[in-house]
Amino acid sequence: MIRLENVHKKLGGRTILDGLDLEVKQGETLVILGRSGTGKSVTLRHIVGLMTADQGRVEVLGQEISARHQAALLEIRSRIGYLFQDGALLNWLSIADNVGLPLRERHSMKEKEIQERVEEVLSEIELDGHGDKMPSEISGGMRKRAGLARALIGHPEILLHDEPTSGLDPISSSIINGLIQKLHGTGITQVVVTHDMRSAFEVADRIALLHAGKVIALGNSHEIQESSDPAVQQFIHGLVEGPLGRETSEQLEPDQPDKEESGLS
Amino acid sequence: MVEKLGVFIGRYIAPLLSFLRRSADSTGFGLVLLVRTMLNTPFLFSRRRIRDSLDLCYSYCIGSFLVTSVVALFTGMILALNGGNSLEELGQESLIGPIVAVSMIREMGPFMTALILTASLGSGIAAEIGTMKISEEIDALRIMSIPPIRFLVLPRMVALTLVTPVMTIFAAFIGILGGSLVANSQFDVGWLAYRTDALESLEFRDVFTGMLKSVVFGITIATVGCTQGLLTRGGATGVGQAARRSVVVSFLLVIILGYYISWSFLS
Repeated sequence: MIRLENVHKKLGGRTILDGLDLEVKQGETLVILGRSGTGKSVTLRHIVGLMTADQGRVEVLGQEISARHQAALLEIRSRIGYLFQDGALLNWLSIADNVGLPLRERHSMKEKEIQERVEEVLSEIELDGHGDKMPSEISGGMRKRAGLARALIGHPEILLHDEPTSGLDPISSSIINGLIQKLHGTGITQVVVTHDMRSAFEVADRIALLHAGKVIALGNSHEIQESSDPAVQQFIHGLVEGPLGRETSEQLEPDQPDKEESGLS
Repeated sequence: MVEKLGVFIGRYIAPLLSFLRRSADSTGFGLVLLVRTMLNTPFLFSRRRIRDSLDLCYSYCIGSFLVTSVVALFTGMILALNGGNSLEELGQESLIGPIVAVSMIREMGPFMTALILTASLGSGIAAEIGTMKISEEIDALRIMSIPPIRFLVLPRMVALTLVTPVMTIFAAFIGILGGSLVANSQFDVGWLAYRTDALESLEFRDVFTGMLKSVVFGITIATVGCTQGLLTRGGATGVGQAARRSVVVSFLLVIILGYYISWSFLS
């Protein structure tokens, strides 16, 4: 379903991905763990073609992403949903309009059908009755769920979650985790980037631990928890001392200049 | 000596080179953005894009109406006052109307309106798109296969291209009105004489030059605002810098382009 082979990426002169190999099977929920700046979000961006690899191969839904023309890339993206860290809702549109936006802009569906689908998805993620509110009028957890509803409205085959529970209280986190598990039951392929260990163990079929742009551990929840690798133990127990080091060198992922992110494509 | 030279280069030359490189990058980006937006013009003819553009036109007009009125009124009054003082000595007060009218239609109206729209709307566009950029909303659009050029840039460019000439005509009218107040109250020029002299002095070329300038300025302000917004990085500080840069760059381009358009019509 998703395959990354020997992917290399440098941003601002610093190596972010250094020969990353990763495979996500159909219907699987793969959680990517790792410290800040280790390339987790960059990995997601490669999967949707927001970034292209300096070297290596990214294959999604049977097609190589880096070699795609714009039209083909748009077609692949229409089969992928993406939940951003803060929902990334357009603040001048209501929740219902945000959720219905992909259908209004991409499809020739009738307005009535769009509204019915929006209500259906809002109900699935337990946001019924909030469609008329603006993003500024709802909580962070609800914004994330609205972002999830928008990601789901086009019936995606792959769903990517970037820090779905960050900044949320434990109850809101549990609601999000519950939704990810519910989606797992529908057969959708999911990749979840998170720092939240509880969430990771709750939703994952497999967990990949990233460090220095590579996968250093891969296995199911039990295998990761029982791993004798000191780096894995340091990360899951939050130990200050260990092979992963005390400090991340820099917080690189969001702020690095990269021409691909200009918004033109 | 070598060490001092290294420090000098690091402190003064490297930032200058970096600034020049960034400027070249953003100029290139802006030109590409303008061309790609023009190529996307056919996508304007959908009900949603037309509605978005008209909504923006309305909000841009409302947002700049008051400040344009006040500035235009006083600009016309200043032109009349300065012109009137000189013309009074020559007994040519009847020329106040033509001077104010031609200045407002051909030069001051488009220029002043462009500066007001740059400060109020151009910086707003840069800040709005910049905020969307840092909060990943632009990325969200791209992932939803909604091209940001069609969804964000095209309606803003169309709206500013339409609003700038409209506000220019409005500013010229208010400026000429302001001139008439001074001409009548301080130089005893009759209302009817002022109006007749002002209208008779205007040629098609003056109006055409003013309108051409306003359209070019509108496209310039929108392109610069969208460019700086899309190039925003680095959180709230980046948004502030994008808004500031959009004002500075638009001011410079408006003045330079304005000169060359005037020059091409006068020579």
